Amino acid sequence: MFKKVLVANRGEIAVRIIKACQEMGIKTVAVYSEVDKNAPHVHLADETVNLGEPTPAESYLNIPKIIEVAQDLGAEAIHPGYGFLAENPDFAQACHDKGIKFIGPSPGVISLMGDKIAAKKTMEKAGVPIIPGYHSIKQDTSTLVKEGKKIGFPLLVKAAAGGGGKGMRIVHSEDFLEESIEGAKRESKSSFGDDTVFLEKYLDKPRHIEFQILADEHGNTIHLFERECSIQRRHQKIIEETPSPVMTPALRRQMGEAAVKAAEAVGYTNAGTVECMVDGDLNFYFMEMNTRLQVEHPITEMTTGMDLAKWQLRIASGMELTLKQKELSQRGHAIECRIYAEDPSNGFLPSIGTLERVESPTGPNVRDDTGIYTGMEITPYYDPMLAKLVVGSENRGESIDKMIWALSRYVVLGVTTNISFLKKVLEHEEFRNGNITTHFIDNYFKDWTIAKEGLPVDAIIALAVYDSMHTKTQEVVRYKEVDPHSPWKHVGRWRMGAGV
Amino acid sequence: MFINYEHENHVYNVTVERRKNHYYIMYDNTEYTVEADEIKPGQLRIKLGDRVIKCVITEGEKDKFVFVDGDVFKVKPVELTGAKKTKEKMEGDLSSPISGKVVSIKVKSGDSVKKGDILMVIEAMKMEYLIRAPYDGKVKKVNFKEKDQIEIGQNTVELIRNKEA
Repeated sequence: MFKKVLVANRGEIAVRIIKACQEMGIKTVAVYSEVDKNAPHVHLADETVNLGEPTPAESYLNIPKIIEVAQDLGAEAIHPGYGFLAENPDFAQACHDKGIKFIGPSPGVISLMGDKIAAKKTMEKAGVPIIPGYHSIKQDTSTLVKEGKKIGFPLLVKAAAGGGGKGMRIVHSEDFLEESIEGAKRESKSSFGDDTVFLEKYLDKPRHIEFQILADEHGNTIHLFERECSIQRRHQKIIEETPSPVMTPALRRQMGEAAVKAAEAVGYTNAGTVECMVDGDLNFYFMEMNTRLQVEHPITEMTTGMDLAKWQLRIASGMELTLKQKELSQRGHAIECRIYAEDPSNGFLPSIGTLERVESPTGPNVRDDTGIYTGMEITPYYDPMLAKLVVGSENRGESIDKMIWALSRYVVLGVTTNISFLKKVLEHEEFRNGNITTHFIDNYFKDWTIAKEGLPVDAIIALAVYDSMHTKTQEVVRYKEVDPHSPWKHVGRWRMGAGV
Repeated sequence: MFINYEHENHVYNVTVERRKNHYYIMYDNTEYTVEADEIKPGQLRIKLGDRVIKCVITEGEKDKFVFVDGDVFKVKPVELTGAKKTKEKMEGDLSSPISGKVVSIKVKSGDSVKKGDILMVIEAMKMEYLIRAPYDGKVKKVNFKEKDQIEIGQNTVELIRNKEA
């Protein structure tokens, strides 16, 4: 096992990995940018190195600097977490070249899976179902139109280098095919500098269901069941759960085998995730493979009892997987909610500011993975995810109830968060019934706003009591004299102490 | 004491008086008598009849945040500042965002106002909407009087903007 590991990340995932290292007796090195000098991951680590400027390119994405720190401090391995350098093949290669173990798959696999067309081709060859579509290099409009007609409608035009909905078009009939292809190409060119597009069948009632993979460096690959991640906003997951409410034992076996086959086809090692789309008739199609630890990995841990971060470390240090597929099982049900500093009433735009107060809920089977603290400044430099709240229970209904309970007791004051929004989603009848698709938020919460019902009377009473408690006598006089036109007048005459 | 809280462009007028740990709150023509304790800084336990309101309140630089029943609300105590004299002017107007009733007029023609000053309070659906001065200026004309009905888009106050110094 490694003696010292550098964690090239920040926030909750850096905290998560450092804690796993601590449990295993591994020394840790945290790197941080100027604005993160008081962050929990910095406090937790054995050694810390300031990378400088907060812009990611100068700090958490600065490959030469991070490698240099690892070498100087004698870290034998680097854990990249997720995001930042986690799926950067150049970083994995740079680690390899300097004799540092990159905790993840090989640079070649990262590179292959990063190219969505190449990844799908590989999967198709390995016999993993992919969405009917056109993923070839012939990119002239007439070829694309011909292939599009073959696939049928509705279909999706997608930028090969795309993400976040950019360079994406849904085409409902042949009449709009050509202009949609050209539009997607223009958008892709300007967003990603590459106008390669592919065409895909557009799925009815699509769900996002993914399988967790663990593969050691001795040829053993297992899957740790599915995660249902259909609840998304802006193409990003916000609520994940396992098991999926639509999963059947037969489908699970089929998808699990396909996921293992997918991993084996590329010689995958370490933790990874095979993402699939599942349609209304429970047909599943490979989407992409994420070559890292996923944000939502705790729900798998909650239901399998396995610690994925520790397994990543063990696998990277050359250990063999001890559990065989047939020995694995899931118990109960788990949900994760991603708590973001963002405003659901305003297009989920990130909100920044100071966290004036943070109190997280605790209780049986409630897990809060977080890297925040009271007084922390939420800056525009990094992802606005504040915490991942995870609960586990015997069944889905109980998990939903527990999550609503926990969210209702999660105090985050100072920046706008999505906590109330998450609760509303969980309380929605169709969510409770398990009728969820990737369009759920758009279908049911398009123009949702917290302010609809205004300030509840309990909040008004609370504020009045608080202000009364914290106002000195002289200030009370000032309040009274402030303005003769003050609108309090119209509340009518009111005698102090009346009704007592 | 009298307090106005602003939340999402609505103003809530509250009066509160205190006797030891009893509070008498008047809001929207209803009186609430509560017993309250601050359990730890910012965390209150408020007994209202047979139920208990548990809440956490913090003060940011400009806003107050109140956490109650799992939801967070950001409010601003409304400052009712006096008028200030200004010299140069430009024209401007302010239309009502809603149809409702004019419940309060804060200015009269000839008054000078500063950006952010409240000019008029309009009530609709039990909520109050504030018309604020979008810039420093001088009131040319107030188009309504208290208790008037106002329609969406109607010009509330004609405000002449001060020229940049």
